[in-house]
Amino acid sequence: MKKRGRRFSFSLSALNLLSVITASVAAAAVCIAVFASVYSRSLLRDAQVNSEQSVSQTLAAINNYLDSMRERLITIGETAKKCETAQEFDTKISALTQIQSDIYAVAVYSNNGDIISCTGSGNTIKNYIYKNLSFDKTLFESAKDFALSSPHVQTLFDGEYPWVVTLAFKTDNPVFGNGVYIAIDFRFSQIAKFIDGVGVGRHGYCFITDKSGNIVYHPQQQVLFSGLKAENTDYISSLGDGVHTEKGVIYTLNTTSDGLWRVVGISFTDELAVEGRTQIIMSIAISFFCCAAVALIVLLVYQKQVNVPVRSLMRAMKAFERNTDEFKFSGGGETVKELKVLSDSFEHMTVRIKELMERVRREETELRKTELRALQAQINPHFLYNTLDSIQWMCEQGKTEEASKMTLALAKLFRISISRGHELITIKDELKHAESYLIIQSFRYRNRFTYSFDTDKSLENYLCNKITVQPLIENAIYHGIGGMADVGEIKITVKQADDCENDILIIVEDNGVGMTEEQCSKILKKERSDSGGIGVKNVNDRLKIYFGEKYGISIKSELDVGTAVTVRIPKIEQEAENEL
Amino acid sequence: MNFKKILSFLLCPVLIFSLCACRGSDDDGKKRIAVIAKAVNSDFWHNVKNGVYSAATEYNVSVTFEGPENEEDYAAQNLMIENAVKDGVDAIVLSAIDYNKSVETVNSAVRAGVKVITIDSGLNSDMVSLFIGTDNIEAGKAAGKAAADGFANEAQINIGLVNYNADTDNGNQREQGFREYISGVPNARIVGSITADSNSESATKSAVKLLTDNPEINVLVGFNEWMTLGVGNAIKELSLSGKVLGIGFDTNVISVEMIETGEMDALIVQNPFAIGYLGVKNAAELISGENIGSGELYTDVTVVTKENLFDPDIQKMLFRFD
Repeated sequence: MKKRGRRFSFSLSALNLLSVITASVAAAAVCIAVFASVYSRSLLRDAQVNSEQSVSQTLAAINNYLDSMRERLITIGETAKKCETAQEFDTKISALTQIQSDIYAVAVYSNNGDIISCTGSGNTIKNYIYKNLSFDKTLFESAKDFALSSPHVQTLFDGEYPWVVTLAFKTDNPVFGNGVYIAIDFRFSQIAKFIDGVGVGRHGYCFITDKSGNIVYHPQQQVLFSGLKAENTDYISSLGDGVHTEKGVIYTLNTTSDGLWRVVGISFTDELAVEGRTQIIMSIAISFFCCAAVALIVLLVYQKQVNVPVRSLMRAMKAFERNTDEFKFSGGGETVKELKVLSDSFEHMTVRIKELMERVRREETELRKTELRALQAQINPHFLYNTLDSIQWMCEQGKTEEASKMTLALAKLFRISISRGHELITIKDELKHAESYLIIQSFRYRNRFTYSFDTDKSLENYLCNKITVQPLIENAIYHGIGGMADVGEIKITVKQADDCENDILIIVEDNGVGMTEEQCSKILKKERSDSGGIGVKNVNDRLKIYFGEKYGISIKSELDVGTAVTVRIPKIEQEAENEL
Repeated sequence: MNFKKILSFLLCPVLIFSLCACRGSDDDGKKRIAVIAKAVNSDFWHNVKNGVYSAATEYNVSVTFEGPENEEDYAAQNLMIENAVKDGVDAIVLSAIDYNKSVETVNSAVRAGVKVITIDSGLNSDMVSLFIGTDNIEAGKAAGKAAADGFANEAQINIGLVNYNADTDNGNQREQGFREYISGVPNARIVGSITADSNSESATKSAVKLLTDNPEINVLVGFNEWMTLGVGNAIKELSLSGKVLGIGFDTNVISVEMIETGEMDALIVQNPFAIGYLGVKNAAELISGENIGSGELYTDVTVVTKENLFDPDIQKMLFRFD
């Protein structure tokens, strides 16, 4: 039982712990897994969208710029046609460059690159021109309508080397002649600054290539030049427009409306990882912490609310089992409804069980007492018949004195037997009763036995159960003396117990055939087989019911030597009788 | 367990979470790097600055770029270092005006937990994490080679040197490298040298004096931007273009024009953009705990002559986009 109980408590708390921990860890793990995958996917998507937006914005700006460049070149071409002299053209252009600051210079070149006219924003043309980077004959001739150069430095004016792109077209002109090129050098710094400022992602950037993948402008071109860094231009030129993610780099490409340049956005997925990692680690830590905290709380609550009451209830049950009589249930304090019901029921049950047990015990005692009283009242009909037969015989023989004596004894015997009064009578009366019985029996078994009393007179007034001694004498006569050839002897002794001054011993001895140990114990167990009277067993039971287990009958017997039956009773004063 | 206890248990993680959130949004998480230059006005430093900002964008750090007005004012520079440390920057990228006089300031900055990287001109301290710049000895040798090549078929190369007298290592190292290279050229010798203050007037005066005093000179070398202008101006003033080979260091618009017009014949050009870029890149990596190695990280020099002046790549390096 104890073992089973322990296993029960172990498995309950282990189950609690295990289920709470498993549930919370599983929940956390699932949440984190879902969160992480969703998060990283959305990060990548965000980055791609972001990159696409940056690049398309850049592209729009560049397209705008290129469009406006073309429009202005056309306007200047128109202007050139309307001018009558080169001087007039120069003046108009000079004014234009004052207004439109992104036009650095306007030049008119002959077919082989000689400068026919060149007007800049106020600077003077160099006396000695080493190289004119604004004129590229191959580019100009191959262009369909407009030729757009790569960014280059403008080398025609004193003290300045600004970066420009040259936009040129071939035209016929009344002043400058047919087949001349009109070219505008647009300041590139505006585009450059714009490109420099384009951030793609955290540390991504944007650059421009031509359609064959050569870098037109790169914000870090000096770094590229010194070989500290390289763009994979071959790979990039192989990609179509759109977003491409390759080996942790997000390439976003878009081509300008004239198809000459491509805007390339570069951003990095590792930054997402680095960026995301701290956030994810943080989230994981927080989730775990929360889960652990929640689990702990649940566990503590569970422990407090369920485990502790269950265990205390269990302990109470065990205690009840061990010692029902002295058990006192001190439950209460449970807040879980089911446990409270359980605990209350248990408490109620213990009280009820105790009550029932008490009642059963009481009833049983009562029953026994009643039963015994009924037995006491019974008169052995054989005995009565035999006695009356003896008296009748005495009367016939004229032995009136004897008959009268016998009748008196019978009357005395009956008076005590049938007295409905107290169960307890004085030892003196009990002995009188026994003597009456002996008198009657000694008539019947004439000369077969003698009897004697040895009574401690100081004990005569203590009480004992009525009809205690008589059955013992009857037993002695029938089983001890009855089978004897010689004259038997019955001795009744009343004395103080040697081992306890509060106990009285009443001993009935005979010197009859005696009994085996087996017979002795049988006598104490067996109801009397014949119908009337009270057996030794009943006497013993009665003594025990009235005075407790310590008291009762003990038999000492030896074959052919005799039997001594000892009754042990407590000293009970007459006044104390009512207490029993 | 009463309700309050449960509530406090539940609120704990919420509180911690919100605290973390606060900390996260505090300064955008950007590391801060202070770049303290030797000067801010020259083309060279403009290019360094561009490189610095380019790397700052790429490596997601916030940078400041400052330098003293006067290229010899090491005290002002020390003050800037101290202020940056007080300001709580994560790293300083320094171009030291004086090889020795900023050592103590820098060492205490490093002791305060600030990483220091030097660029362009180093510092006499082993607490500096890394030096990034031109290998000036190699640059000097490149100048020597340009001198030797420019007059390969002349019988005798007579060289005059115009150097500046500031205490930075750069000039001395360039001259040392130059002399080393020349000592291996049998028909070359250094016939005279002169020092000047680090500005073009002083340099021009000194160069003219050197050329006048030593008419046999056919190669004249200036060891920084201003000495180079001095050399070009002197050749122009004395109309020695084509007769005296002008070799210089660094570029600006004037020296590029001198190449075009022929007063100067070769410029040893550093890559200031790369120096600035690498300075911030390495500082950022150093802050984030990466191993960037130690010692020196050299950027290449380019020899610019009239022939390659307008090559697309050289254009990109020489001319700024602003």
